[in-house]
Amino acid sequence: MFKLERRVYPSRKTSGLVIFLSFLLAFFVTGLIFYFLGVNVVQFYSIIGNVFITPVLFLQAVFRSIPIILSSLGLVVAFRMGFWNIGAEGQIYLGMVAATGIVILHVFYDAIPVSLMLIAMGVASFLAGGAWCLIAASLKAKLGVNEVLTTLMLNYIAMLFVDYLVYGPWRDPEGWGFALSIPFPDYATLTFGGHPSVAGITISVAVAALVYVLFKYTKLGFVLSVLGKSSEVAKYAGMSVGRATLLGSLISGGIAGLGGFYVVSGMIGRLRPRASPGYGYTAIIVAMLAQLNPWLILPAGIFFGGLLTAGDALQSLLRLPASTITVFQSVIFLCIVLAEFFMRYKVVLKR
Amino acid sequence: MSVTPLVELRGIVKKFPNVVANDHVDFSLMPGEVHALLGENAAGKTTLMNILYGLYHPDEGEIYVKGKKVKIRSPADSIKLGIGMVHQSFRLIPVHTVWENVVLGLKEAGFILNKKKLAETVKKVCEEYGWNIDPNAKVWQLSVGEKQQVELLKLLIRNVDILILDEPTSVLTPQETKNLFKALRIMAEKGKGIILITHKLEEVFEVGDRVTVMRKGKVVATKPTNEVTAEELANLMIGRPVLFKLEKPEVKKGNVVLEAIGLKAMGDRGVLALDDVNLRVHSGEILGIAGIAGNGQEELVEVLAGMRKAHGGRVFIDGEDVTNKGVKYLIEKGVVYIPPESTRWALVREMRLVENVALKLYRSKDFSSKFTINWRKLFEFSKKLVEEYDIAAHSPSILASALSGGNLQKVVLARELSTTRDGKVPKLILAAYPTKGLDVAATEFVQSLLLKYRSLGSAIIFLSEDLEEIMMLSDRVVVMSRGRIAGEFLPTEKTIEEVGMMMVKDSAA
Repeated sequence: MFKLERRVYPSRKTSGLVIFLSFLLAFFVTGLIFYFLGVNVVQFYSIIGNVFITPVLFLQAVFRSIPIILSSLGLVVAFRMGFWNIGAEGQIYLGMVAATGIVILHVFYDAIPVSLMLIAMGVASFLAGGAWCLIAASLKAKLGVNEVLTTLMLNYIAMLFVDYLVYGPWRDPEGWGFALSIPFPDYATLTFGGHPSVAGITISVAVAALVYVLFKYTKLGFVLSVLGKSSEVAKYAGMSVGRATLLGSLISGGIAGLGGFYVVSGMIGRLRPRASPGYGYTAIIVAMLAQLNPWLILPAGIFFGGLLTAGDALQSLLRLPASTITVFQSVIFLCIVLAEFFMRYKVVLKR
Repeated sequence: MSVTPLVELRGIVKKFPNVVANDHVDFSLMPGEVHALLGENAAGKTTLMNILYGLYHPDEGEIYVKGKKVKIRSPADSIKLGIGMVHQSFRLIPVHTVWENVVLGLKEAGFILNKKKLAETVKKVCEEYGWNIDPNAKVWQLSVGEKQQVELLKLLIRNVDILILDEPTSVLTPQETKNLFKALRIMAEKGKGIILITHKLEEVFEVGDRVTVMRKGKVVATKPTNEVTAEELANLMIGRPVLFKLEKPEVKKGNVVLEAIGLKAMGDRGVLALDDVNLRVHSGEILGIAGIAGNGQEELVEVLAGMRKAHGGRVFIDGEDVTNKGVKYLIEKGVVYIPPESTRWALVREMRLVENVALKLYRSKDFSSKFTINWRKLFEFSKKLVEEYDIAAHSPSILASALSGGNLQKVVLARELSTTRDGKVPKLILAAYPTKGLDVAATEFVQSLLLKYRSLGSAIIFLSEDLEEIMMLSDRVVVMSRGRIAGEFLPTEKTIEEVGMMMVKDSAA
């Protein structure tokens, strides 16, 4: 008879191994699915693998991974404090809105000097993303509303708000009626270092370092970790639970907001509807795959950026629909959930 | 005796990690009787009944229902055998109506509900017991007493003839209690058997035909209620644990550290848990608080620690009004709190030992700057504590969950006693059941620590379920009952039996 037994304290080694095995399982299961759909699996995986060994494609993978990495780093903060923020997608959109808003303020009202543009855009998108997350956090702190629902629902509000802006007041007057904002001037785009991914990866590494330092050395980080494990104990220890929740969610949403800043300022150069193909949702998978370790977010994020890049190749070479990659992502997610289970329990043989 | 008992439990043994909850327990229930199961908290009453109800499986022993040996694997099995249980917390769906709750899971109801017929049956049963509930009312609209009647209804409709009630009066008003007992008597007259789990003596005499007293997992007596006195039951219930002597040095009482005046507070269920409590504790003094669990002791220390809001009255520390100033403020004032089940509520098991030491200390100037924590210093400090308190941990970086219960308790004590206010002696120590569940050596260690800090000049409030321990350690004892102070005396003034009587008299759940 097989029986499930609770692990007393899962070691880091077992966790790592279980996650790695589940990751391999995802490749296997995905392969199986596409095999039965009549896809050449070897070719399928070689196209994906090709992305990571071809410099041009790899650069593209890094480029597309930046918003995933940033919002995922935001999620690390939220998840570690036990705040189940599913709203990175919405926070990304708010970040885009704020960054675009600064550009419009500058172009039409001349409110901000050129030299401060990028900094102002970064700060504004951080605050906007943070504020969006703060709505859910204060509803939780004050009224006990479940944050999974609120953050998720706020995503749709944010997305539709962007639609409203670009179809309405923020539509480029010289844009032939397309639903687009004005294009960003050069000094409002993240192009330093030649390729926008250079700026992106610099910001990502810096934010990862900040998140690492937050939890490793700061008082706030410590309070957030205790809160994530047991809010009762946090209260007992005299920690200001409410303030920490608000501060933590501000940081979490803010970092995701930076991801939105990168999307408009580094990737597209203007605001358009549905500018994020679900970066904020992919970020959840990345955060879990990286086991909430800020450094591991970087490679995990690049892997998923690579999948997005491979998606284009799959479409043209194997004539597979764009949603193919979504299937792969979802299988990975399910396997990680399975892994979480096996981290807590082990199967033992009982006679 | 030719009547077959409804239930017979023989030699039931149930072990949990670290405790034997039921130690060879024999118990029987006759048709037509109300059998009170009396005992302190954690005496094993509820465990025994959960075994009968199929929630737990006994490690040893046999169960006979109506003369037949049975194996009860789940509550579904027990209901088939005619056993039903009303739990302390109700299992009702608030947004549904009474009859919907009653028929939920009822097989006889069939696939298509005959709403009218069912509502009628519900009504009929209600009339039998003199209950006045509208079957179409939503459950959330009902009073607590009525909700309990719905729970009973659920069982009666299923033709249950063995009813287990787990401390049913703890949530009821006196009038509701009276009604419940009336209904219980009617059920007994119909030949049903009722097991009433309780720790209130007066209830035993009010409705009980027989009483079984449990203590520390064992049955200490089973007797008809007209053959015992309240004093006897109180002694049986509280018992006399083994004595071991502790050296208690003379300490001169200092100034008043803590003063509480007219303290009122609500319990978790929203009822008044503390009612006009007045207390004074001096430096160098241990004030023991005795009482049956659930009479306001825990709420009292929670209010004093800032964990629970006082709804009335004032708390002074060193003459300063600190009422509702919050946990952090009180910690800074030098209040140390060892909560009940401290290994669960004062520690994070999934964190490292050093992080658990840091729980309150991380704010201290010695171990942190404005924003950052000096983990290296904390690590060294933890190492010192591990040595000083002889904690079985080879390094402060191991996870707390890797330590045993006794060692975890040591971690809590080490942190609390030596670390508040940057190394100074704590002003007030609130120790709620600090020795509970510890072995003899660890118990002695904790007791000697409390005495040490008494000598150093801390004011100490000490809670224990062990009356002997309270009498031995305290300089002064206060008995709590129904959220009030029922008596105050020096440990030399009264015998254990007298105190036991004070505790049980008029106590609440």
